[in-house]
Amino acid sequence: MREIVYYTAMAWMVGLLCLCIVQAVRTKSTLSRILALDTLTLVLVALMVLYSTTTGKGYYIDAAIMLALLSFVSTVAAARYHSERRIF
Amino acid sequence: MTDYLFDVLVILGVAVMTLGVIGMMRMPDLYMRLHAASKAVFLGVMVLAISATVLHQGSVTARTILLCLILLVTTPVAAHAIGRAGFLLHERMTSPGAVDESGSHLANEAPTWRL
Repeated sequence: MREIVYYTAMAWMVGLLCLCIVQAVRTKSTLSRILALDTLTLVLVALMVLYSTTTGKGYYIDAAIMLALLSFVSTVAAARYHSERRIF
Repeated sequence: MTDYLFDVLVILGVAVMTLGVIGMMRMPDLYMRLHAASKAVFLGVMVLAISATVLHQGSVTARTILLCLILLVTTPVAAHAIGRAGFLLHERMTSPGAVDESGSHLANEAPTWRL
C-alpha cells in the first residue's frame, strides 16, 4: 500500500513539473513566467520532501530548504527588476 | 493506523497541489493565476510536510518544521512582489466581472455597484 501511494505520488508530481514547464514556455506575459517558475520550485520542494520522508534520509530536506530560499530571492529580484528596473 | 494516516495526507497534499497547478494554467489573468498558484500549491506542500511528522523520524521532523516556517514566511512575500510588479506594469484584468478598486482602471468595465 505504501509503495503504491509513494510511486503514484512521485509520478504525479513529475507530471505537475511538466505542466509547470509547459506553462512557463507557452505563456506570453513575463510575470506569469516568473510565477510558473516559482510554482515549479515549490513542486520540486514537495518532491524532495516526499522522497526524504519515505526513505528516511533527512539531508534531502536541507537541499529543499536551500531551494526554497533561492526561489524566494530569485522571484523577488526578477519581479522587482522587471517592474521598476532596479532590485533594491 | 499511522500508515493509513500517512497515505491519506500524501494523497491530500498531491490533490491540493494538482488543483493549484491546474488553476495556474487555466486562469485567464495574472492576478487570478497568482491567487491559485501562491495559495493552493503552498498549502499542498504544507500538507506533504505535515505528513512527514507522522512517521516519527527525528531528523526528518525537525528539518520539516524549519522548512514549513521558511515557506510560511517567504511565499506570501514572493506573491506580493509579483502582484505589485503586475500592478506597476498595468497588467489588465481580463476575467469577466473583475473590479479594480485601486482607481487605476485595470479592469475592463466599470463596476455596476457602488459602496
